[in-house]
Amino acid sequence: MKSFATFILLTLLCIPLRAQQKIYTVDNIPKVHLQNKMQYVCNPADILSQEACNEMDALLYTLEEKTGIETVVAVVPSIGEADCFEFSHQLLNQWGVGQKGKNNGLVILLVTDQRCVQFYTGYGLEGDLPDAICKRIQTKYMIPYLKDGNWNAGMVAGVQAVCQRLDGSMVNDGASDDEGMSGGMIILAVIGFMGVAFIISMLAVRASTRCPNCHKHALQRSGTVLISNRNGIKTEDITYTCRECGHSIVRRQQSYDESYRGRGGGGRGPFIGGFGGGFGGRGSGGGGGFGGGSFGGGMGGGGGAGSRF
Amino acid sequence: MKKSVIILLSILAVVVIIIVSSISTYNGLVTMDENVSGQWANVETQYQRRADLIPNLVNTVKGYASHEKETLEGVVEARSQATQIKVDANDLTPEKLAEYQKAQGAVTSALGKLLAITENYPDLKANQNFLELQAQLEGTENRINVARKNFNDAAQAYNTTIRRFPKSIFAGMFGFDKRAYFEAAEGAEKAPEVKF
Repeated sequence: MKSFATFILLTLLCIPLRAQQKIYTVDNIPKVHLQNKMQYVCNPADILSQEACNEMDALLYTLEEKTGIETVVAVVPSIGEADCFEFSHQLLNQWGVGQKGKNNGLVILLVTDQRCVQFYTGYGLEGDLPDAICKRIQTKYMIPYLKDGNWNAGMVAGVQAVCQRLDGSMVNDGASDDEGMSGGMIILAVIGFMGVAFIISMLAVRASTRCPNCHKHALQRSGTVLISNRNGIKTEDITYTCRECGHSIVRRQQSYDESYRGRGGGGRGPFIGGFGGGFGGRGSGGGGGFGGGSFGGGMGGGGGAGSRF
Repeated sequence: MKKSVIILLSILAVVVIIIVSSISTYNGLVTMDENVSGQWANVETQYQRRADLIPNLVNTVKGYASHEKETLEGVVEARSQATQIKVDANDLTPEKLAEYQKAQGAVTSALGKLLAITENYPDLKANQNFLELQAQLEGTENRINVARKNFNDAAQAYNTTIRRFPKSIFAGMFGFDKRAYFEAAEGAEKAPEVKF
């Protein structure tokens, strides 16, 4: 019995160890950038410190704002038997890192059990960040730290060097183009929706002025009788008289009493549609802030360089 | 009388359907065929890129290991032979592709030998220029592999399409032939692996 308990205890002790050596694949690395567009560093096993991640995130966010270059930094303990190059190739192409058409994605991968660091550049970055420069950044700035297992300093120095190299290499017009497209679409949809609501309400107003006797749009309000005013809902009988033929009709109308409890919004029958449209528009137009980012669908064809240390 | 009109009309309808579907099949096959050609151009570009790197690499190594004449000449020789073989994308027969693959494979193995001997020259290995050339060469090998894979995928997708019914009928009619693709890596085609 005692040995059994020891066995259980040992197994339980082993679980966190094994979890730490979890083998990451392109499919099970969390896409942190999609949850928060300010984050670029995938650090699922907490190999890097939070400060180092924040520093790199800030650098890479600035880089994307300026140049539109999309970067993923992945730091994992193990990718099993997979090749570092293969892994970053799949990561960039499956995730679609980089803007579509510009293909300006960059993947920086560190695998600690294989002791390899790999840069993978999209087609569009091969000119601005050629393989030789990738290698130079790795050997000069990263490997001196990585050799001693100082992952934080090594990665931060590498990202700094990459950002320095790529700063001003291209202009961020595609990103705003891509996002502007969807933003523009939303604005267009809102305008269209409001336009339709406006037309409908105009038609409703016009229809309500139509005289049932002479079929001319000449009804005019001539008198009001209050029927009830309960819970802020006012019921009135409104008399309309036609200017053309003198025919008069009575319509019963309900409306919110504006003075009741200081209620602001007034819904005068036909205009409800108009107000609804405006509000819906504002609702969908907002957002942004710390929302999720996106990858543009960039591709790569094997650029970049890798080093072992 | 009326019956014959119905028969005529239905025949006409069938003919129209066949014509419309053959046009769309034809256009689809042309697109796929062009894609294969485009991917082939990409393969050639990447091999050319490697060929362009070689003189620089050879010169750098020569500065440190001039007496490794045989290996150096082997690389230059293989390179000049490989660059002579140009394969037109529209004339990509399996024989020509095999010839091309063999010539490029010879370059790969010659380069492998060259990189192996550089291990004996610590000064060379410490040379920043050489390190970067080596990185470029590795990057180019990677690009070649990606381009080859993309080409193979495109060619195989195209081959599958033209062999499947009913497109196979139209493919036969319009003369769409099977495209050759790279066979599985032979010994000579494997990327240089240096282990000590």
